[in-house]
Amino acid sequence: MAWATKGCVIRASFLFSANAKRAVANSAAALFLEREMIGHETLSSSGGTVKRYGRWSLRRLLERESSLGIILMLPGAFLLMLFMAYPFFLGIWLSLTDSMIGRMGHFIGFRNFIDLLHDSIFHQTVRNTFVYAMVTVPFKATLGLGLALILNNRMRFSNPIRAGVMMPWIVPTALSSLGWYMIFDPVFSPISWLLKSLGLITKNVNFLGDPNLAIASVCLANIWRGIPFFGITILAGLQAVPHELHEAAAIDGANAWHRFLHITIPTIRGVVLIAALLSIIWTFADFQLIYILTKGGPANMTHIFGTYAYQIGLAATDIGQGAAIALYMFPILSVFAILLLKYLRRE
Amino acid sequence: MKDDSKRQTKGKLSRREFIKAGVAGLGIAAAGGLSHPVFGQGPAIIKGTKLSILQGTYFIAPAQELYKKQAQEWGQANGVTVATDFLNWPDLQPKIAAAVQAGGLDIVELWPAWNYLYRESLVDLTKEAEEVGSRGGGFETYVLNSAKVGGRFLGIPSGQNNHSMNYRISWFKEAGVANAEDGSKLDMTWDEYHAVAKKCKANGHPFGQALGHSTSDPPCFCYSFMWSNGAMEISKDGKNILFNKPEFVEGLRKFIQAWKDGYDETGTSWDDSSNNRAFLSEQICCTLNASSIYFAAKKDKPHIAKDMNHMLMPKGPAGRFYLLGTRTFGILKNSKNIPAAKEFLKWWFDDKQYGEWFRLQEGYQLQTTKKYAKDPVWDKDPKMSPFKEQPKYGRDLGYAGPANEKAGLASSKYIVVDTLARAVQSGDAKAAIEWGADQLKRIYGV
Repeated sequence: MAWATKGCVIRASFLFSANAKRAVANSAAALFLEREMIGHETLSSSGGTVKRYGRWSLRRLLERESSLGIILMLPGAFLLMLFMAYPFFLGIWLSLTDSMIGRMGHFIGFRNFIDLLHDSIFHQTVRNTFVYAMVTVPFKATLGLGLALILNNRMRFSNPIRAGVMMPWIVPTALSSLGWYMIFDPVFSPISWLLKSLGLITKNVNFLGDPNLAIASVCLANIWRGIPFFGITILAGLQAVPHELHEAAAIDGANAWHRFLHITIPTIRGVVLIAALLSIIWTFADFQLIYILTKGGPANMTHIFGTYAYQIGLAATDIGQGAAIALYMFPILSVFAILLLKYLRRE
Repeated sequence: MKDDSKRQTKGKLSRREFIKAGVAGLGIAAAGGLSHPVFGQGPAIIKGTKLSILQGTYFIAPAQELYKKQAQEWGQANGVTVATDFLNWPDLQPKIAAAVQAGGLDIVELWPAWNYLYRESLVDLTKEAEEVGSRGGGFETYVLNSAKVGGRFLGIPSGQNNHSMNYRISWFKEAGVANAEDGSKLDMTWDEYHAVAKKCKANGHPFGQALGHSTSDPPCFCYSFMWSNGAMEISKDGKNILFNKPEFVEGLRKFIQAWKDGYDETGTSWDDSSNNRAFLSEQICCTLNASSIYFAAKKDKPHIAKDMNHMLMPKGPAGRFYLLGTRTFGILKNSKNIPAAKEFLKWWFDDKQYGEWFRLQEGYQLQTTKKYAKDPVWDKDPKMSPFKEQPKYGRDLGYAGPANEKAGLASSKYIVVDTLARAVQSGDAKAAIEWGADQLKRIYGV
């Protein structure tokens, strides 16, 4: 706001000056142009006095910080409306209809949501999603913290190593999932081959075919993918810990464990919390990893919201119910999103 | 002013002249289209347009290449830019569903029951399909049962890939199976089949069966098993779920035991290609599959090809069944190029193109018309002869009811497949069937 006000003051002082009067008299065309362009300031016929002209001129809008902010936000808001809000509200509408792909349905109220409450596959899906999101995050956080502590040490080639560690996070999930698909192959798994060669097992491990092993296997792949995110985020937090604090504590006789517990942890707590909340939200809404590894099988033991919504909404063409499945995620994710925003505001 | 107005119209067409020229032009264009002397060339109206064709990937790669080549040839002859895309089978339906909503595709390969699912979005091709049928001496019954929606063809039937039991001759012999060399002489019940499985597994060669979420082998096995054990999703009149039948519970109980005794138990996570790889790497002795394993073996592992054969699906108390519905090529109503799409399909289903494509697959592709049931391709290799019998036992999704969208929904939700998968995982046949019956009740609304 300050710069805009300053501009007005300068302009006003200019207009009040005698020089300005002469300039205006000698250059009517320039004045006209200015009036047209500026629109909100002009001279009275008696000369010298300023009055408002056009409350909503472009320059005025651009000069005011509040309106400029809105203008600069518009392209982003438009894109969000187009790609987020429109599909979201369309999703809400579809979930309230019996639409099938290619056939617009009728309004049926909350029947899709109520039907799902009686669907045992959906119950399984909810259980799986919570297990998938909640079990993986503590592992990702702990292992990510360990990784960050290692990377925080001064060592040779630390930058290439840090970049390399990010690989699981950078590589497209679809691609890395195919890698895991080969590792978990029921017939050709290298793990099974190794264990069999060592004489530890006699038949192949049924990684993705046994109900418990299947969910454990997809969790493992998810943990692998998520560690670098925690690692690098926490590393950034660690580097913000003032070295003097450690030195002072060391002089006071604190050993490494005490320093970690009383200096490092409190400093990086916020970063870990934010990373954990983000990770929960992403894991909850995951799709690619499960779709490539199991497509929700065996017998729906690894279906999560995303894959079940896809199976019902697109594969089975019941897009109304598919939308309802996806929307069940909304209140759950909202809670995490609100927690995240609250924490960020407080910080 | 008068002179001015004259000057203004000079060099331009008056409204009347424009209409005259337009009518004449349309007449010429129509006449050109109707009296095209060269076969394979469509009307001039499609020239300069684009055509997008989507279908599933082929296990017989040369047939996919041939289809691509044919499409390109037709495109060049007609001045149409043709794009042919081939997707993994599980991804095909979602992609079509997306195109139904948002457009972007012209011709799509439709699997059984999809004609019902997308009936509002498909162009009626009854005339074109019936021409193909009558040219071939009539469609096979399985084709009529699965391709028509409310008496109309919404796609032109192209047939379906075969599937049956693939087995290793020497390992069957080892297990004491008589006439193991000649697959056409093997006629087993499920009990006999599982007795062989037990012996083979004891000899280190288990049977393999995919029970994962995959669109071909798992449903083909599970639907056949269900029907042959006296159960079905729904009665013919659509009023009763006939899934929870005592015969089926008993059959499934035996299957749970057989799974432990005779199968590779990792099959619960297998997809359509897992058993191919397992068979070709000599890890399993017998599996339900198309003849793609045999073709791959002939190419790369001749010793396996020599030592393998095909036999019909085992029969149960209720008889022998195959899950079989034809695939069709349909045109989406939201296509921007329906005329070119129709012209292409009419051209491609002509005997010259279709026949070449059919024969190249050497029996992998089942016939749609009676004429092709007598095609010399079936006499080429005796190991392929069991597949010729398959259409006789074919039933489509939803049998004894129609292959409608509810049957399609049950199939997409893998209810029958998951019933068997749950049973072998939990060891409780009754609970698995009750779960399946409950799901079917919800889907069929009875």
